[in-house]
Amino acid sequence: MTDLAAGPTVETRELTSAVRTALGTVTDPEYPDISIVDLGLVEQVNVTPDGHATVGLIPTFSSCPALAMIATDVSSAVEVVPGITDTSVIWLSTPVWSVDRTSLTARRQLESSYTVVLRRKDGTLRCPVCGSDQVGDQSMAGPTRCRSVAWCETCRNVVEVMR
Amino acid sequence: MTIAQRSWNDLDDFQTFIDDGGIVEPTDDIPEAYRDEVFRFIEFHANSELMGGLTERDWIPKAPGLRLKQIFLAKTQDEIGHAHLLYMVAADMGVKSRSEMLEQLFDGRSRFHNVFHYQAVTWADQIAIAYLVDAAAFASQRAVFAECSYGPYKRVLKRIIAEEGFHMRHGEEMLLRLAEGTPVQREMFQAALDRWWWPAVQLFGPDSAPDDPLLAWKIKSQRNEVLRDAYVQKYVPLLQGYGFAIPDEHLTQDPDTGKWQTSEIDWEPLKATMRNGGPDSRRRIATAATNWSDTAWVRDALDVAAHARTANETAA
Repeated sequence: MTDLAAGPTVETRELTSAVRTALGTVTDPEYPDISIVDLGLVEQVNVTPDGHATVGLIPTFSSCPALAMIATDVSSAVEVVPGITDTSVIWLSTPVWSVDRTSLTARRQLESSYTVVLRRKDGTLRCPVCGSDQVGDQSMAGPTRCRSVAWCETCRNVVEVMR
Repeated sequence: MTIAQRSWNDLDDFQTFIDDGGIVEPTDDIPEAYRDEVFRFIEFHANSELMGGLTERDWIPKAPGLRLKQIFLAKTQDEIGHAHLLYMVAADMGVKSRSEMLEQLFDGRSRFHNVFHYQAVTWADQIAIAYLVDAAAFASQRAVFAECSYGPYKRVLKRIIAEEGFHMRHGEEMLLRLAEGTPVQREMFQAALDRWWWPAVQLFGPDSAPDDPLLAWKIKSQRNEVLRDAYVQKYVPLLQGYGFAIPDEHLTQDPDTGKWQTSEIDWEPLKATMRNGGPDSRRRIATAATNWSDTAWVRDALDVAAHARTANETAA
């Protein structure tokens, strides 16, 4: 870990930012074009002056089957950053992931390429295909732990809801 | 909010719409011939996801180690979940209801992918399925997604493909473990490969007729034979590279082009599976049917709860 008393040097700040950039290229195995940064999985990035990087991630669901794969992909992306000598990936148990952590970019990608939406604050749903509000919940369980299934009565499409 | 219904003068007019890259939506006045063909295709896909999910489920208790059990749990949920979404899309087409589709599947009157008519004998069979069969299914689904003209199916396929790609990575990881394992583990995989190579190659089906309506209507973007050939070209060298033998004594490689050529395919086994007369068809269908009837109480309880909710809302 970084020696906090010493404070980050210019070099470690630059390295940290390079590591963050590298993390932006790592995508979620279940959304191969959405970055884990945009999905809000990256919580901490620490780099020591001798180039040891520690990346703290938080899982969407603790039983998510993609965790090991994401950790491997993070290591591969960070290891090749010039100046990084060694990478550790840790899964944090706090804070708990919620859909509030997703970026606007991720939300737009989820809607336009995956027909997946986030619930509005008042609990209602908006269809990402036709924009209708006539979207009703169908079942709590869908193909993955992090999504439930809904149906748009207007354009008659399956809509999945990230939760 | 309503969506204006689009309609076409005749099938030629409709074909021009498809040729121009048009996407058909459920709110359209869909030509009956298209509706029937596309429905049959989606129903077959939904049935296959359901039967495939049950295969994965069989291995949850037997998977070695917690991590693999977790993966098989997740894969089971994925496949059953895919079936759920596909049955929603299929039922909406108004040809058969969801319960009719399930009833016919469990009665043995419906069809599903050939690969789910065989028995997975050992854990290595399940790895061969994850590595070979998932890859074949993935290639064929990607080819459907590429130009798919039916909007709701294309949107569901996008998520299915993303998840199947993830399964393939698991398949490769598990295969590597056996490939780098003990001689016994390698023998186990070779025996499984001997059982699964031909069913996987046959999954693409006999070559499409040139006038196959599914090609014309852009449900399929490639002929079956084109997909099978690409699959053979990719997996023969991969498997040989891991040190396994392809169970085809007449497999040849063109010295000039480097292209692999399998021996002539015997389509009888595939045809038998399409009549639900494959080696394990009877047991698999019976298991699926029992599973469905054993869980009827859950669906009944959910219905009662839903009615109670509606009654409360009406009263309020």
